[in-house]
Amino acid sequence: MNLLALEFPPVNHLFDWPSIWFEGTPYAINKTVLIYFGSVVVTMMIFGLAGRQRESLVPAGVQHVAESGVNFIEESVVMQTIGPDGKKFMPFLTTMFFFILFSNITEVIPFIQFPANSRMAMPVTLALVVWVIYNFVGVRSQGIFGYLKNSLFPPGVPKVLYIIVTPIELVSTFLVRPFSLAIRLWANMVAGHLLLVTFAVLSAAMWGSGGIGYGGALILSFPMLILMTGFEILVSVLQAFIFTILTAVYIGGSMHPEH
Amino acid sequence: MTATIRRLAGAFGLVGVLVVLGAVPAAAVGETTGSCVIEEVGRAEDKYGSLDVLEETHQEDKLKKFGEDLEKCVEAPSPIIPELDEIIWGGAAFLILFGFMWWKGFPAVQRAMQARSEKIAADLDAAEQAKTQATTVLADHEAQLAGAKAEAAQIIEDARAQADLVAAEIQARANEEVAQMRARAAADIESARSQAVSDLRGVVADIAVGAAERVIQSNLDVDTQRALVDAYIDEVAGGNA
Repeated sequence: MNLLALEFPPVNHLFDWPSIWFEGTPYAINKTVLIYFGSVVVTMMIFGLAGRQRESLVPAGVQHVAESGVNFIEESVVMQTIGPDGKKFMPFLTTMFFFILFSNITEVIPFIQFPANSRMAMPVTLALVVWVIYNFVGVRSQGIFGYLKNSLFPPGVPKVLYIIVTPIELVSTFLVRPFSLAIRLWANMVAGHLLLVTFAVLSAAMWGSGGIGYGGALILSFPMLILMTGFEILVSVLQAFIFTILTAVYIGGSMHPEH
Repeated sequence: MTATIRRLAGAFGLVGVLVVLGAVPAAAVGETTGSCVIEEVGRAEDKYGSLDVLEETHQEDKLKKFGEDLEKCVEAPSPIIPELDEIIWGGAAFLILFGFMWWKGFPAVQRAMQARSEKIAADLDAAEQAKTQATTVLADHEAQLAGAKAEAAQIIEDARAQADLVAAEIQARANEEVAQMRARAAADIESARSQAVSDLRGVVADIAVGAAERVIQSNLDVDTQRALVDAYIDEVAGGNA
């Protein structure tokens, strides 16, 4: 793609990674998959090491990271959306938060610089898992008819409005939710990666052009790249939080339809 | 020592992940359409010789193949369609992580947090007990101090009363002594007076007798008698003095 004499890679190419092993099979491993593995390893290391250090009164290092994470999920997610009976979902929500966070944050880590969740695979997989879980919880808590009744015919709504509300709820609860969850995460990561690539390519091109380009790179594009890098750290954390809290909201809604 | 080894292992693990991920061919970020086209042209020339020759000799099939290769430079799978291999590996990775968290990671951290909460609660209880004990000890000490003060005051009061008693006793004794002295003095005075009266009575009698003798001896008139008596008295007084 050639924009204003700037050689910019096709957008699709920014997210398409070649297979490293098992090419051409359904088990091919590429950079995205390695980032997922990295997220698993890092999360396991944090929680594995944190669980061993029990005696210190003031948590530090990985213990502090793990305990802050658990505390954050408990106080800011579970207790705010589900309540005390949502604590049984803590391991799942904590796993989800850290997995998404570390898969996102790789977009600003030098030499990796790619958010694995800018590929649709895991956002949609996790969203479908969430869909299964909150429907299962709803059926288990209210019974299948109770769950369908409360989902499709929300209590407190005038009966005549069910003509409009019920189809909306049907589409919203059972069809749109998983995709909105997946697309929100995926689109944010795609946009962030595009922004970073744009300013990185722009900086390289301006610096490479010499002359006034040096000034342009130093004053405009490179500071913006730094700014965007900081912004993307925020987005990475925020998107992990949003995915997790929406999951908790959906589960909480299925458990307590009165809310 | 084990902590250091653990830290080193952790650091090497992280560096390893970074190196593996970083070493993956940068097909995405590094490749541009231009570089891809240049590579394809180079590859075609290596394969077919000059491209001009292909055109001149109308080798359509080879030109078509070259065109398809060039199209790949601007084509890539849609980023919104999830790849099966990534779903399989990513899903497996998430499942493994969830299993680990469910089985070990999360309960261990939660136990550590619980143990800390319990320790803090126990420490707070112990501190509360110590505070209560200290308050009791302080109250005891204060009570003892108040008792000591009251005892001291009582001792002072007793001493004062004792002193008053002693003073009263001394006063009484002194008064008694004074009274005795007075009585003795009065008795002495009385005795002296009696003696004096007695002496005086004797003297007066003597005087009277003497004066009478004189009066009798010389038959004098009143003035002479008075003068005789006065002279006699003066004589007696002078003799007693």
